[in-house]
Parts: sequence; structure tokens; C-alpha cells
Amino acid sequence: MDFFNIFIKAAFIDNLVLAYFLGMCSYLAVSKTVKTAFGLGLAVIFVLGITMPINWLINTYLLDGAINGLDLTFLRLILFIAVIASMVQLVEMVIEKISPALYNSLGIFLPLITVNCAILGGSLFMVAREYNFTESLAFGLGGGFGWFLAIIAIAAIREKIKYSDVPPALRGLGMAFILTGLMGIAFMSLMGIDPAALTGTK
Amino acid sequence: MSSFLDKVKSIEPDKKKSPFLHTLYDGFFTFLYAPDEVTKDGVHIRDGMDLKRTMVMVVLAMQLCYVFGSINIGHQHFAALGMYDSFVDGFHLKLAYGLMKLIPIFIVTHVVGLGIEFWYAAKKGHAIEEGFLVSGALIPLIMPPDIPLWWLAMAVAFAVIIGKEAFGGTGMNILNIALLARVFIFFAYPTTISGDEVWVAGLAGTEAGSPADYGWGVGFFNWIFEGMGLSTFDARATVVDGYTGATPLSLAFKGGWENVTAVYTPSQMWWGGIPGSIGETNKPFILVGAGLLIALGIASWRVMLSMLIGAAVCAMLLNVWGATPFMTVPWYYQFYMGSFFFAMAFMATDPVTAASTTRGKWIYGFLIGFIGMIIRVLNPAYPEGWMLAILLLNVFAPLIDHYVLEGNISRRLKQAAANSGNTTTPAPVTAEH
Repeated sequence: MDFFNIFIKAAFIDNLVLAYFLGMCSYLAVSKTVKTAFGLGLAVIFVLGITMPINWLINTYLLDGAINGLDLTFLRLILFIAVIASMVQLVEMVIEKISPALYNSLGIFLPLITVNCAILGGSLFMVAREYNFTESLAFGLGGGFGWFLAIIAIAAIREKIKYSDVPPALRGLGMAFILTGLMGIAFMSLMGIDPAALTGTK
Repeated sequence: MSSFLDKVKSIEPDKKKSPFLHTLYDGFFTFLYAPDEVTKDGVHIRDGMDLKRTMVMVVLAMQLCYVFGSINIGHQHFAALGMYDSFVDGFHLKLAYGLMKLIPIFIVTHVVGLGIEFWYAAKKGHAIEEGFLVSGALIPLIMPPDIPLWWLAMAVAFAVIIGKEAFGGTGMNILNIALLARVFIFFAYPTTISGDEVWVAGLAGTEAGSPADYGWGVGFFNWIFEGMGLSTFDARATVVDGYTGATPLSLAFKGGWENVTAVYTPSQMWWGGIPGSIGETNKPFILVGAGLLIALGIASWRVMLSMLIGAAVCAMLLNVWGATPFMTVPWYYQFYMGSFFFAMAFMATDPVTAASTTRGKWIYGFLIGFIGMIIRVLNPAYPEGWMLAILLLNVFAPLIDHYVLEGNISRRLKQAAANSGNTTTPAPVTAEH
């Protein structure tokens, strides 16, 4: 049940984009069409879901005084980023092989997932909140799913308002920022629900 | 009649010289009369049912809520003071007091909203868009009666500028304008708006013994009523013992259904003699409006029905779960409390922000019902869920439509591929949605 709680909380209640405003760069840049947003969203779910457990293992069995009692936590950031970068490389190769069209439309933003702060942020949240292995897996998948939902929702809206008479000064990014704010309001609907308290697991 | 119309036409301001006056004139003229310009070439369908008429129909459907709401403001006020217990007792006082509260709210909403609308229309050089008629009629109904007017003005300005004009005006907005105004107040002043005190107007406080707090205008009404030999407002009246002003929802959250029925009877809740936002308490009158909208083909019955199903299913599941007192409230009684029917009839069905495909509407309505019930029952932060559930699904409506369309396209393509195998006739291209 803990797995489920953390998944729901990460996806809907503490959404990485709309509650913490993490990962905005690629969120704003790749959300012009649903198709590419869908692809990038899947890539983020995958990368978050893989890197968080790996980073948990590294953090627990290498850095946190596990080797001769040495405190290696100062290496945390650089190791986390190295793991993320290698995973992104993997995703990149897979996407290039499976769907060259998607690979081309994602362009530079695919390798840039490496520095997507939602992903590094996820790993750092994991450390700060002292998740265990399954919890960090749940948080990774849930956070990725929340990010995925947010980006395809805004992409569908941006496809729709392409035909609207938006004031010239606001076209493009301006509108994307306003939309993100409004979506943040809408997502506040679920904020405050505590799944753990409801199911009595905590 | 025609000479009168000619006279009216003769004062039409020139569009180039004074765009603002022209816009103003044009807006009111087409509001009152059908424009005499007809399409000149090509084949067009001509129908009196233009956007403005559609909007007016929606506004008409809400009128019963307005009438009831204004009386109920007064009724709740006197209920707190322990006077005029029956609904029809002191009717003139209740109506006068209700109108005294409702009319300023109505005027502020329209002056701010229409002012912005007119300004944009003049600036962009198009005719006034009628969109604000419906939003402007809805906003007063979903406000608590004791709302400070400057909050209201800010909320309306935010909703119209950010929610609508930034998106390019009427018909382009993603989120429901009226709900955006409400949610702005909700998040900007959370402590005041979610407590028990805002729902009853004209009291200095809800504790026993705190006096009635009448503003301007009461003296004027007292003078009239005295002249007619009727009872008058009494500023010395105080709140009775044991009065809380709590809405059924906040009672249910604390102690389940028994806690609610200790204060209000089910028929009281159904007929609306309870504290709440101005227009949402009386369920039968809302259903009359909803029936009118369905009969005229303006609102989608699919959204309403699926929303009802969604809420019922969710409430039944919560009954089965039954972990908190609120979850054990029988699912059919959930509809007696709060603003479910108002949200269903007038908010979720807004054709601009709802999903526009048939299958999309079913999904959209169902999810609003389901998520709204979750927010109402499970989320301690908010007393009621429909406002936020509808906004959330407004955000996802374009996505739902997108995938319904994609699904239709791929199904048609498959059909076409199968057809082209055995016949030579091309597959129909118009997608059914």
C-alpha cells in the first residue's frame, strides 16, 4: 500500500511540474504538439523510474558511510548526475533505433533530460525524505507519470489555442507560462489529501 | 415601431471616429434586437438562435436560482437571529435584505467584467462578445453572500483578463471563467472563505449574542415598511444560542450524516433553506434550469448524466471503504449537500471548456463526478470539490478530445483499409464525434 500511496502522491498531489515547478525547461519547450510531448513524457517516466532506485543503491551502499565508515556524501550530486546521464544515453539510443521521427522532433531536448531538474530533484527528494528502495521506485514512477500527464495536458491545450486570437505579445511562451499557472491552480484540487493517513499505513 | 428603430439607428456612433462608443452602441443594440444585416452570398443557414440568444437562454435558466437565492440570504440572516423561522414569515424583510446583498454583488460583477470586455472590444475593433453575460450571471450565484465587494472586483478582473482575454476572448478560454473567479477568491483568502462565517450575511459574528450588523439602506426599507404597517429590521437582535452557521458539508466532515441531520432536515437541504453560496442551495429550481437547458439543446445531457454517475459510483465506493464518518454518509444523501447540482447544470456543461467529442463528454463528466467526490470527502483542505474538479478536467478536456479523435481516426483508417480490400467505394471521411 505504501508503494501505491507514494505513487499517487508523487503523480497527482505533489506534482513535480505543477506543485514544485521542476523540469520547466523541456516542459515548456517540447509541449507544442501532443505527439512529441508524449514521447518525451515516456522518456522522463523511464529515466526517473530507473535512476531513482539506482541512485538509492549508490547512496546507501557507497556514499553513506558504508565503505570503511567514510562519509562520501559530497560525491552525491556528481554521481547522481553521472547515473542520470548514462541512463539518458541509453534512452536516446533506444529511441533513435525505434522511432527516428520522434528522435528528430525531440532534438536537443532528449539529451537535455540529463539536466532536467525534475529528475535530479527526484533523486534529491528521495535522499531528503529518506525513502527506502521500493518507496524510491514508487516516487520515481509516480513523479514521472505526473510529469508526463502535465506535459501532454499542456500540449493538447497548446494545440487547441493555436487557433485562438491570442494577443501577439503573449503568443508562444507567454501563453505557456499563463497556462502552467492556471494548470497549477487546477492541480491544487488534490493538494492536501494525505493517502497515508487515509489508509492508516502510517 | 419601425420609426422608433430608425431613430435608434440614427444615433449609431461612427466606428472610425469613436470606436468605444460604437462598440457600446453595437453591443446594446444587438442585445435588444436582432441585427438587420443578412449574409449576402453563398449558402448559409440563417437562424435567430445566435450566440447571444444562446447565452440569454442560459441566463434565463438561472433566474429561479436568483429569486430563491435572494430570499434565502434574508432567511439565513433571520434564522441566525432566531426570528421568522418559517420560510414565508417576514417575507418582505427577507427579500429586501437579500436584494440589498445581491444587487451590489451583481452590479460589481457586471461593471468590472463588462467594462473589461468593452475595453478589449474597442481596442481590438470587434463587436462586443457576449461571453460575459453567462459568466456575469453565474458569478454572483456562486459567491457567499457576505463577500467583500473589492475581492469580488479583483476576482472578476483576474478571471476575465487572464482566463479569457489572454486566450483571445469569448469561446477561446480553457478554464471556466466563473469558476476561475471563485477559485481566485478561494486561494487568495483561504482562511476567510472556507470557514463557517461567510455563509450568512449581516452578522457581526456567529457567536451567540453578537448583534446584527446592518449596513446602508436598512433605514430606507424600515421607513417604507413602517409606512405600510409591516414589521421592520431590528438592529438590536442578536444571534441565538447554539447557532453555528456551519454548512451541511462542514458538519458532515466533522461527524457524518447524523451530525448533519441534527441541524438540518433532508427536505430543508433539498429545498435549499440552508446556508451556502447564493444560488446553489435549492436543488429543484436548479434541476428546472437544467431541464430547460437540455430541452433547448444548449447544455449536454451526456455531461450531466455521466457526472451524476461518476459522483454516485465514487460515493458508493467510499461507502464501502467507510474509514471516516464522512465516507459513511449514504451515497444518495451526498447529493443533498453542497453544490453538486449547480455545478452539474451550469458549470460542467459549459460548451467552451467541456470536452467536445461525444465519447469525450462521457469521460469528462464521469471524471468530474468521481474526482469531485474524492476532493469533497477525502480532502480536508477544501469543503467542496466540484469547483476544483471541473477546473482540473477543463485542463484535461483538450487531451481527452485529442485522444478520442485519434482513436476515431485510427478506427476509420482500419475500416477504410479493410473496405478498400473488397470494394472500390472510398470510405466516408467525416469522422463521427
